[in-house]
Amino acid sequence: MSESRVLVIDAQAERLPVFGSILHFIDHSPVLVESAEEILLEQHRPQDWLAVIVGDIGDGAHFGRFVEWLKRDRYHPPLLVVASQYDTLLDRYSFDRSACMALDYPVKYPQLHEMLRRASLLRMDQDMRSMRLAGPTGNSQAVRRVRRLVEQVAAFDTTVLITGESGTGKEVVARAVHELSTRRDKPFVAVNCGAIPSELLESELFGHEKGAFTGAITARKGRFEMADGGTLFLDEIGDMSLPMQVKILRALQERTYERVGSNRSVRCDVRVIAATHRNLEDSIIKGSFREDLFYRLNVFPIEMPPLRERLEDLPLLIDDLVAGIERNGHGSIRLGADAVHTLRAYHWPGNVRELSNLIERLAVLHPRATVGTQHLPQRYRAGTVVVTPAEELPEERHDALIASAGLAPSPQASSVAALSQLPPEGVDLKNHIEGIEMALIRQALEQSSGVVAHAAKLLNTRRTTLVEKLRKYGLTRELAMDSEQLSA
Amino acid sequence: MKKMKTLLIDDNKAFVVLARHLLAGNGQIDIVGEGYDGFDAVRLSEEIRPDLIIMDLAMPGMGGLQAARLIKAQDHPPRIVIASHYDDAAHREFAAQSGADGFINKQDYEHHIGQLLGQFAETAHV
Repeated sequence: MSESRVLVIDAQAERLPVFGSILHFIDHSPVLVESAEEILLEQHRPQDWLAVIVGDIGDGAHFGRFVEWLKRDRYHPPLLVVASQYDTLLDRYSFDRSACMALDYPVKYPQLHEMLRRASLLRMDQDMRSMRLAGPTGNSQAVRRVRRLVEQVAAFDTTVLITGESGTGKEVVARAVHELSTRRDKPFVAVNCGAIPSELLESELFGHEKGAFTGAITARKGRFEMADGGTLFLDEIGDMSLPMQVKILRALQERTYERVGSNRSVRCDVRVIAATHRNLEDSIIKGSFREDLFYRLNVFPIEMPPLRERLEDLPLLIDDLVAGIERNGHGSIRLGADAVHTLRAYHWPGNVRELSNLIERLAVLHPRATVGTQHLPQRYRAGTVVVTPAEELPEERHDALIASAGLAPSPQASSVAALSQLPPEGVDLKNHIEGIEMALIRQALEQSSGVVAHAAKLLNTRRTTLVEKLRKYGLTRELAMDSEQLSA
Repeated sequence: MKKMKTLLIDDNKAFVVLARHLLAGNGQIDIVGEGYDGFDAVRLSEEIRPDLIIMDLAMPGMGGLQAARLIKAQDHPPRIVIASHYDDAAHREFAAQSGADGFINKQDYEHHIGQLLGQFAETAHV
């Protein structure tokens, strides 16, 4: 989570308000303490702060305990240490230099701003990592095939092109290739070419020299340079502009590039893995993607299947996602068997990413509960009917739910959920009873996978009677559609 | 034109007050609620069903990006604009990946909101 709180520890109390007002000014929430003793460690996690500013540490024993606690988290926030204390602190507590930065005092606004900007990027990157699945997870034939391809190609420096719909986990595959390659101890750098404005992409990929353009106040490394020796993952490459495609092609062919504003060529040792949700062959025909670049990238294609084609992986994926939420200290959630059953009937246009967001959302809205079908957003329940006690849902949402399930012959039937509760305004008894009857029939059909004879048994009624009722409520057409979908 | 029911989310309450003031004269926006972290955003979005959420990127507990992902998982999700003090390619990239529909620099809030609303109106007519 992008965090706004910044902890300041400084025994020189007169400096605290100075830090406080600067942090406020640049939109952070300062937490100011004179000694680490004031921080109740058992009530915090290191990730509660974006960064920790350290001035005079005061009592070394208290600060030592704080450092020990902080270091237990591998990804603890960076320390910004007042320059005069920097070397002493680094030696005494053997901090990794990458986790510690020297801060000038009196504070220079641009310096502090830049350090916190980097801390913010670091945090966002960690968040993305924490929600990433190792994997690809699953036991379906489609996923087993992807895993086999990854194992085949990982050891070679071949360029890989991963295709598949948005949210299928193309980056998961790219990371798996990197992790199984000899480059695994070098950086894996991902860049989403579609999310960066085209005018910024060149400097983002290749870096720039100081003064290369307005705003380039310092020289900056590009992502090719950051990935040196490792793997560069170019996501959504199909969204890249044609002029940028030429530059990427050259970097791939000649293994060299130039920073923006420089004419000195830099050699690069980077394995490129590209991905796109687009059909690049169509894009070539339309003229929006270069054919020569396509053949450069498409040396070893891997296609990630959509979730709807591997629904048998759903329970495993859910378990993995819940374990991830628990591991990150973001609470927990359980899905009831009915909810999982409902989710299996959904078509998952957003794929695994959509599932991940749904599970996380349920964990926030219903912490540590076991959620049933009725707690799922409406789009996941389109094919099912849920009879929920009226008090669990606001009236108007309940009405919408019943109506969307095709359950409401008239508005009065929305009171079906209240079952035997007579509302003050009364009910239309016939519609009310019909609503309940329809809900139960649908559930019986669902439980018996649409087999009318089995559903009739569940309802202790004759098959012919049930067929009659299905016709009456117009459910036969839906059944026919379902079976068509199944056989398709 | 129908006003957009708008939720303001920012842990800096003074900024919420300022934003209310800045947006008061905007004929397209009707502020219907405010919250102070990502948890508020997810909960209020579910309850109020706004058309637009303007949300800070960095907040205690749950920041704007995580909240944006989770809000986009609700039925008929609102448009989400992430407001940040840090405006660079990487921050914009993370915001886009979270599913946010727009990104604005907090230092030029009012101006950027106007531009974004214009873009939203154009895409709505397509």
